[in-house]
Amino acid sequence: MLRMSPATRGVSRSLVALVAVFGLLASACGDDDDTSTDPTDAPATQPTDAPATQPTAAPATEPTASPATEPPNAPMADGPTIRVRGQDFSEAVTIAEVYGQYLAAKGYNVEILTPAGFRTEAIEGITNGDLDLIIDYIGGSLTALAPDAASSGDPEVIVSIIGPEYEKIGATLLDYSPAVDGDAFVVRGDLDATTISDAAGLDLVLGASAACFERPQCFLGYTDPAIYGIEFGDTVTIEFGPLLGEALASGDVDAVIWNSTAPQISKDGFKVLEDDLGLHPAQNIAPIISTSVLEAYGAQLAADLNALSAAITTDDLVAWNVETDVNFRESNEVATEWLMSKGLI
Amino acid sequence: MLAQAAVPRDVGLFEFLFGSKYWTGADGILASLSDTVVLCATVVAVATAIAVPLGAGLAHLRRGELSVTWIVTLSRAVPTFAIAGLLVPISLRRGWGFEPWPIFIALLLVAVPPIYLTSYTAVKEADANTVDAARAMGLAERNVLFRVELALATSVILAGVRVAAVQVVATEPIRAFLGGDGLGRFVRDGLGQNNDNLLLGGAILVASLAALTGGLFGVIQRVALPTGVRRLFHRQP
Repeated sequence: MLRMSPATRGVSRSLVALVAVFGLLASACGDDDDTSTDPTDAPATQPTDAPATQPTAAPATEPTASPATEPPNAPMADGPTIRVRGQDFSEAVTIAEVYGQYLAAKGYNVEILTPAGFRTEAIEGITNGDLDLIIDYIGGSLTALAPDAASSGDPEVIVSIIGPEYEKIGATLLDYSPAVDGDAFVVRGDLDATTISDAAGLDLVLGASAACFERPQCFLGYTDPAIYGIEFGDTVTIEFGPLLGEALASGDVDAVIWNSTAPQISKDGFKVLEDDLGLHPAQNIAPIISTSVLEAYGAQLAADLNALSAAITTDDLVAWNVETDVNFRESNEVATEWLMSKGLI
Repeated sequence: MLAQAAVPRDVGLFEFLFGSKYWTGADGILASLSDTVVLCATVVAVATAIAVPLGAGLAHLRRGELSVTWIVTLSRAVPTFAIAGLLVPISLRRGWGFEPWPIFIALLLVAVPPIYLTSYTAVKEADANTVDAARAMGLAERNVLFRVELALATSVILAGVRVAAVQVVATEPIRAFLGGDGLGRFVRDGLGQNNDNLLLGGAILVASLAALTGGLFGVIQRVALPTGVRRLFHRQP
């Protein structure tokens, strides 16, 4: 036995007790953020939030439900796992949860990965096989995959360009949704302007993210004499997000480039100036599925995904953002609620 | 007219660092550099003005010994970016804009601890024999502090200021992510625009400035000593 003085023994015992308590606490407060494949986890861990929906959730999402209740062409239970990952901002996280939970409820093998990165990382993931399903904004995909191609406000034009580009990297672009989250030229409600062209002579101070300043459909387009030709009084680079709203409200800037579904726009009394010259590209959301996974599951997977995409509207995106950004709710809960309200799970 | 010409995506690293095009102009390297230097110099100056009298005074009076331990522990836990980030909306809502208060306060919290610690320790550890001799000679307490303790402590205090200055210069780039500019803007733009060479160039500039600051203060530390002390250091082996 170790020879310890009574004092040392006392200290050692306290240390062991402390480590044990810590270990217990650490395992108990497990992984709240873990997005597991089983959607029943979401309502189950929040019993006070949705007690009424729990009984209906359990049987509907149970993958081992009796064959009689499954549609005749149910996906095979041993198909490849569909790994879906949202980009690291609240709207994208909610969208990924919606698609992931929907597919899981339909019986596919789905794994909703922790949100990470942005478009570049999403496209890289699909290219090198780390991801199977991503949902992107088609205008953004265009900038990423075909930066030299002319952008357009017409989704059909954009899809005709990025479809083949996605095929080159082993992915299939499915039908785009009517839901749009595009660029918005946002000003305070009391500004005397309704279109972006009206902003020309007002010597506004512009706040935008770093990416905007080198993008032809953003700052370069606003200041191009051949397009809008606006001369801004000054420019400030601001991190994309709620800080844009803060800066606009405080008067530090007079106009910000935000996204059209930001909930703060209506909440704080801002207004979006109309893109009268059609500079902003179409930004419908569209799922992109790995071609090999699509072939493994067949046409049913494409049909299911297209059905979901068709059901999402721009108002839904705004509503989800209000829930996550204003009411600070978790994306997976918001997704489950919406899917249930639409009868999709 | 473009108020802010973005650095093109295909810029080469050396082209960015050594081409004159990116050094001049309102958004160029020189302008950003002077932005950074002005803020950092102000922060270090104010931090010194606060911390040196406080530390030296308390050490002379042999009070506040616990404060040293507290500051050592707490200063390591200061989340500078979080503090600055938290202060930005407050500053905006009060109409003070993005700068300078949030980043100034956050950087002050970075700079004060090292200077306070070295001031306190240096004055406390000033050669006891010399201090005793000074008192025996009948010097007033005020003179013991200013003419003896502080004189002996100068070199060490300057070392603390040097540490603070380097840390401030190295942390200052976060300002670019909070609505400001300065040398960190190239890192921010490189990240936001997916421009690897810009990102790398910005990082090199920031690191170089920090290294330069360290070197500069190293020289000051050796040179800016009271005459008697300098002679003292030269005579002793």
